[in-house]
Amino acid sequence: MHDQSNESVFSGASKYVLDEELAKIVNISIALEMPLLLKGEPGTGKTMLAHAIAESLKMPLLILNVKSSLKLIDALYQYDTLTRLNDSRFGDSKRDVSNIEEYIRMGKIGQSFVTDTKVVLLIDEIDKADTDFQDDMLDVLDQMEFDIMEIDKTTKARNRPVIIITSNAKKDLSDPFLGRCTFHHIAFPEPDMMRQIVRVHFQDLDKDLMDVCIKVFYKLREFQGIEKKPATRELLNWVRALMQDPDFRSKDLMLGKIPFLGILFKKSSDYQHAVQQSRRLRG
Amino acid sequence: MFVNFFYTLRESGVPVSPTSFLRLQKALGGGLVTSLNDFYTAARTILVKSERYFDIYDRVFAHHFHGAELPDFRGVDLDTAARELLDEWLKNPDALAEALGISREKLQTMSPEELIKYFMDRLKEQNEAHHGGSRWIGTGGTSPVGHSGFHPGGMRVGGRSMGKSAIKVALDRRYKDYSMEGPLTEAQMGEALKRLRKMVPVGPKDRVNVEDTIRATTKNAGEIEIVFERSLRDRLKVILMIDNGGWSMDPYVDVVQTLFNYARSQFKDVKTFYYHNTIYDFVWEDPPRRYKPQKVEDLASRDPETRLIIVGDASMAPYELMATDGSIHIEERSGLPSIDRLHLLTKLFHRSVWLNPTPSRLWPMTRTIGIVANIFQMFELTLEGLDNAVTFLMRRN
Repeated sequence: MHDQSNESVFSGASKYVLDEELAKIVNISIALEMPLLLKGEPGTGKTMLAHAIAESLKMPLLILNVKSSLKLIDALYQYDTLTRLNDSRFGDSKRDVSNIEEYIRMGKIGQSFVTDTKVVLLIDEIDKADTDFQDDMLDVLDQMEFDIMEIDKTTKARNRPVIIITSNAKKDLSDPFLGRCTFHHIAFPEPDMMRQIVRVHFQDLDKDLMDVCIKVFYKLREFQGIEKKPATRELLNWVRALMQDPDFRSKDLMLGKIPFLGILFKKSSDYQHAVQQSRRLRG
Repeated sequence: MFVNFFYTLRESGVPVSPTSFLRLQKALGGGLVTSLNDFYTAARTILVKSERYFDIYDRVFAHHFHGAELPDFRGVDLDTAARELLDEWLKNPDALAEALGISREKLQTMSPEELIKYFMDRLKEQNEAHHGGSRWIGTGGTSPVGHSGFHPGGMRVGGRSMGKSAIKVALDRRYKDYSMEGPLTEAQMGEALKRLRKMVPVGPKDRVNVEDTIRATTKNAGEIEIVFERSLRDRLKVILMIDNGGWSMDPYVDVVQTLFNYARSQFKDVKTFYYHNTIYDFVWEDPPRRYKPQKVEDLASRDPETRLIIVGDASMAPYELMATDGSIHIEERSGLPSIDRLHLLTKLFHRSVWLNPTPSRLWPMTRTIGIVANIFQMFELTLEGLDNAVTFLMRRN
């Protein structure tokens, strides 16, 4: 990466533990100007990565949360017909009713195109939208421009945003879509990695307690019949809770007495399973 | 560069597109890749688009670059590295000969100094290869070095240590869990299924109907009257029944898997059931057909507008279809022959098709296919057949 200036090389952020491989992938995607598609089970830090990149590159972050009902046009811009109609009827605003441009509002993708600085654009949970949306969106991101039909103008990106796309789904996205992205699958962190992650968040955590927590956490993840396994976020909250509790002794964990299971298991059936099976952890 | 690597990936079943390969070249040309580790990561992120193929990628990579490490000459004492390697290599002269591309006899005549010189020369070639040549140590020989016996950890030629060597990482096969099901994706199949949809207005009334608004407003003598409506959404329900029993369906597993994969991603509301040969009292929600039985009669409670797609070769002994005790499973002998069940299904779901993976020219050879085709509209499970089936399912009445 010798020909890149230092400020556009991503190397981690204050609250995000980055493995070297992922850093490389991010840098390659930025250099190739391709969107980076991230897959992986919930809690592996897909969304957090975008935050970390924005922080590290000191760029503003724009988040497009994809919903199943989202249309591409909404992500690009909106023509606010109702306000215009209202203005023309009552005429009490300062907007010029005959100028449609004043009623065009940029959506998240549109905003990332027209801002003066380079931004990080996070398109979160793309799999929620239908296939047409995905393909059309990639066209726009490929061309880095879109037309606003109402005023017959083409909006071109002033700065190509750094695009991060996340997907939870096991199923594949369409081939044309994949063809235009770089891809990475984030596996669930290994215990060692997890230790670093916890360390970043709790600098003053006792080492023994950390070891016990991580050990128990990975055991809990192996419980049978759990629908939603606890992930990084749950672990961090759980550790936070344990640290707050004055009555808590790390020995208890080894004895199979696990407080605050509700923080780790959020579905009632999962919770029941966990309570039952945690009794067996004893010894 | 790496054209062979690209083709090996393709042959191993990783769908790599030429475009992405060109993109990789761009990354290489842009000075982004300075070590084999970098290459491993860059090539994977650019070429491989699903974690299912990560494992195959790892294997191909390890195979292809086994024993080779992209050298980095900057600030490394190559001489030491070479000597260490040589020591290691001399334990296995065959592999050394192979890696250097010289015969064993010739190797034996060379002194260690000569060997090192030869090796260094090859390394320099390799350095140039980084920018367009084609010879690599380890792969410079034509036959790829076998998996066992030869330096299990892979070896490093120089290069600053950046954690694990790429080969080691590749040999780790961290992604083997994801390689289980790997149907070939056939985008055309998805295209054919795309037409199978039914748009209905659902959700909140949040769209302005401009035409109606204008009409209502003029009627109202210019007083603005805004008319809202619901947006159109695909609400088609699909039931897919797949014959997954017996050897007769085995040759068609790939194509059925592809269909199934696309059905899952295409339809919001798809329910899959499994059966063996033909349908009796039950179909099953789980592929082993054991844990989650579903009574065929209970399907009556489902929306009759649901499209029913049955996939199967419809080839069996005639009694399995006609006899009252045709089922192999004793608990299923309720007295109704399978043929009645099939008739029942067509009554419950008046838009249904049977997709048969056997080529249609062979249909007349099997009696039961003819019988089933009299009950269900039968189509060949090919792109064309699928297209016709979709047209049939979407016809008006």
